[in-house]
Amino acid sequence: MSTKKTHYPEIPRKNLGPGWWLANRHYTVYMIRELTSFFVTAFSLIYIYQVYRLASNPGTYSQYLDTVRNPAMISFSIVALGFTLFHSVTWFYLIGKIQPIKIGRKKTSPLLALGINTVFLVIISFAVLQLFIVGK
Amino acid sequence: METETATIRVARYRPEKSEKPYFQEYKVPYRKDTVVLDALNQVKAEQDGTLAYRWSCRMGVCGSCGANVNGVPKLTCATFLHEFKGKSLTIEPLANFPVIKDLVVNIDDFMEKLLKVKPWIIRDKQSPPEEGEYKQSGKELDRYAQFSSCINCLLCYAACPIYGLNEDFLGPAATALAYRYIADSRDQGKKARFPIVHDLEGVWECTLIGECSVVCPKGVDPMLAIQKTKILGAMEAPKTMLSPEALKAILPRGGE
Amino acid sequence: MSKMSTVARFHALLWGVFSLGGFIAAFFLPILIYINNIAYPLGLWPVTSQDPTRLLVINQTVSTLFVFAAVGGSLFHGIFRLSATLAELGLKKQEAKITALGYAIIAVGLLALGYYLWVLSPNIIPGLAPPWSK
Repeated sequence: MSTKKTHYPEIPRKNLGPGWWLANRHYTVYMIRELTSFFVTAFSLIYIYQVYRLASNPGTYSQYLDTVRNPAMISFSIVALGFTLFHSVTWFYLIGKIQPIKIGRKKTSPLLALGINTVFLVIISFAVLQLFIVGK
Repeated sequence: METETATIRVARYRPEKSEKPYFQEYKVPYRKDTVVLDALNQVKAEQDGTLAYRWSCRMGVCGSCGANVNGVPKLTCATFLHEFKGKSLTIEPLANFPVIKDLVVNIDDFMEKLLKVKPWIIRDKQSPPEEGEYKQSGKELDRYAQFSSCINCLLCYAACPIYGLNEDFLGPAATALAYRYIADSRDQGKKARFPIVHDLEGVWECTLIGECSVVCPKGVDPMLAIQKTKILGAMEAPKTMLSPEALKAILPRGGE
Repeated sequence: MSKMSTVARFHALLWGVFSLGGFIAAFFLPILIYINNIAYPLGLWPVTSQDPTRLLVINQTVSTLFVFAAVGGSLFHGIFRLSATLAELGLKKQEAKITALGYAIIAVGLLALGYYLWVLSPNIIPGLAPPWSK
């Protein structure tokens, strides 16, 4: 056996570019799921701002409400609601995958977790409306 | 059985001949039961003996034959040619690893990580053989059994974009194996493994893309192992943060 | 004592809060967006004469706590995840700066939210009125 070893260069590994998530459907759905965080962040900041306006600038608060009624803002909110619900649905499914509950010998499926949590979401949403908004 | 012919495009890299990788096409006969590995073997035996690729058991238990087939990490011994009838079929080396030659990749990075997670039972004290075996119930076995199915084929590393973006990420298989031992009732090595898995380049890099579990040929579900490890870490963190050692480190002048 | 590094220990805790925030955002944020920004301006059920924010946070205890939890939890969750996502979208090199900025926004946001909610419902902390309250 020859003791001399010729080392040939390897093709080095290349880090993925920023468009990696367009390569297949799973990745793209994943990225849409993660981008729900943009809308979650946006509306958290919007509500903090709204509370600030109401508390410190009650005189100009009605100006803020004009922004709420602006069709562009309403459209953005509808889009945000869609993304936020997508977060809810994907979150419930992931929780179902990570923490299945053992019933006897069987484990709950993620779809079951999704279904049950969606029912909770509807109940909680109605409760919020009934307790704080309806009839006032 | 009927024999048909398929054209396969195989990525070639022959550094002793030229610096540039290229594709080479081969026509291979196939039947309903022909897998990609069979096609590669036919090429090497009868058409082009220079083709280099790894394989061993040809039945999905050794983990040697991983490759990217039409961009998807697969075991070539478990991928049937007839699925690609009428479509083009491209075989490339496993993604996210340096390429040594043709379809052979350098997996040193994973081997280092595998050693780091100490994939063996760690005991504070070994019981002497006279005391008998370490007993384990079926329930205790269930806690880690699926994660012990890992054949180190590295399809999960090829599929994971986090590993693709960051070579330092510990990765799915290594973490799944770490968890397999952490969850084993006979193991007492949680302390030994936590610094490795709970490193910022460990489980915390994972953002639940889940592709690792999609491509895993053995149903290991490394994504689940990573999440369970995160949960263990999150439960452990407050305990150690309130420990006398940690408080000493955080409070000014050692807590005086 | 497991020897997780200090940074990793903090990260583990923050991840726990992020997970909690994920539940909060999932259950509470959709209905907030619906009432405040869709039902109210479009006159959909439940139709209110006042904007719902006023109903939720002026001199209220329970709904104020709900708003704080919902908005605060969502903010933490959203920023944590958005920072990670930006790193995956090509900003990996700036990850440390983005994360630091994110935590700064969370801190300022939570403080501001808590303070202004307190101003709007001063009796929420019995016996203690905020300075400069209306």
